Amino acid sequence: MPEWIEPVARYILLEGLPGTLRVSAIAVVGSALIGVVFGTLMTIRFLPLRSLIRLYIEVFRGLPILVTVFIVYFGLPSAAPSLEFGPLTAASIALVLWGSAQVAEATRGAVQSIPNEQHEASSALGFGWVGRHRFVILPQALRRLLPPFVSLLVNIIQNSTLAQVIGGLEILEAGERQNERLSAIPPIGLGEIHAFEIFAGVAVLFFLLSFPLTRLAAYLEKRLA
Amino acid sequence: MILATYDLWAFVSDNQEELLDGLLNTLKVSAFAIAGAFVIGLVLGAARAHRIPVVSQLTAIYVEVIRNTPILVQIFFIFYALPQLGIVFDQFTVAWLSVMIWGGAFNSENFRAGFQAVAYRYREAGYALGFAPFSTFLNVTLPIGGRIALPSSINTYISVLKNTSLMYVIGYAELTTTSLNISNLTLQTTESLTMLAVVYLTLVWSLSALIRLLESRLALPESR
Repeated sequence: MPEWIEPVARYILLEGLPGTLRVSAIAVVGSALIGVVFGTLMTIRFLPLRSLIRLYIEVFRGLPILVTVFIVYFGLPSAAPSLEFGPLTAASIALVLWGSAQVAEATRGAVQSIPNEQHEASSALGFGWVGRHRFVILPQALRRLLPPFVSLLVNIIQNSTLAQVIGGLEILEAGERQNERLSAIPPIGLGEIHAFEIFAGVAVLFFLLSFPLTRLAAYLEKRLA
Repeated sequence: MILATYDLWAFVSDNQEELLDGLLNTLKVSAFAIAGAFVIGLVLGAARAHRIPVVSQLTAIYVEVIRNTPILVQIFFIFYALPQLGIVFDQFTVAWLSVMIWGGAFNSENFRAGFQAVAYRYREAGYALGFAPFSTFLNVTLPIGGRIALPSSINTYISVLKNTSLMYVIGYAELTTTSLNISNLTLQTTESLTMLAVVYLTLVWSLSALIRLLESRLALPESR
């Protein structure tokens, strides 16, 4: 094995991978929490609230995620200086805005697919709106949401590469930095170009992260259908 | 000088020629990529649905590779890695080629699902009327399955359009790159981002409206 591979692989796995995992974890948890709440509120027959959430969903699903990343990273600080974030945090926030819009839309559908009798029965048992949704409706709806959640996780892991565009250190940025280091003139680099091996390696790493999850999503969809 | 005032109209009118070129480049790349993704999706989707040996398996691999790697990595691969093998494309080619390959993979799944949703009895009827397998596909499976696949394939085209913004990383002067390059000089970051949001939302929302229109117009008679 050529000598250059080991430090490159070490950098991508030890410096890049944790960045990707951090952004993905924050984005998935944030998207799920905000998305389920917004999606459930969408089923309330109160027009102003419903229109507001509908606008949120359509805006963040409609924008290219890269533009949302730029809005969070460059736009927010110029509107209010206190809203300045590091690249990985900014990417996580942008992915939460996009992901929560996806989850909200899916949750609305799942909640509305629960038969009305379930609402009536739990009301008859004395549950209020919150209790009814917390203990009866959402537990059933969430089961239907499991396959889309896994697909969302795959999408979020892949879209976490958008942090690279604003310089966040995740897998792709780690690979890019190593590519530049190796191609620099000695003594800084090796004066060699290994872009093909490095970016193929980055692609393989993402494939290994995503493929088991897409299989899992397909399996869950079949089982829960 | 501190530019504390927000003036969207000044940003747009001062740079209208460059921005218009950027928008046209976005539309041009999208049009090339969407046309290509349509053909790829139709051909490979049909091959998958009819389980044509070799082509079907190769398509499955193509789809899994594209779906399980980030599109940004695919763009980097085509733009930075392929030149090492002597394969060099200009920015415009990388732009439409990368989103076309991406869209084609998703679209072949859309069409596969559409064609597979056509009940076998329809094709059987075609054969009974003496149609050869290929004319059965053209006259029976395609008109029905194509309509079933239409909404999801337009969704893929919308994603293709949105993904052209990623050409920022290779410096191709489409809308996002153009607008941000201008604001890097003039510091009108907020105006630049507002303009991008408005233009992309207009394009995406119009296409979504088109889906709803087509869905009601092209709905199969039996599901109406």
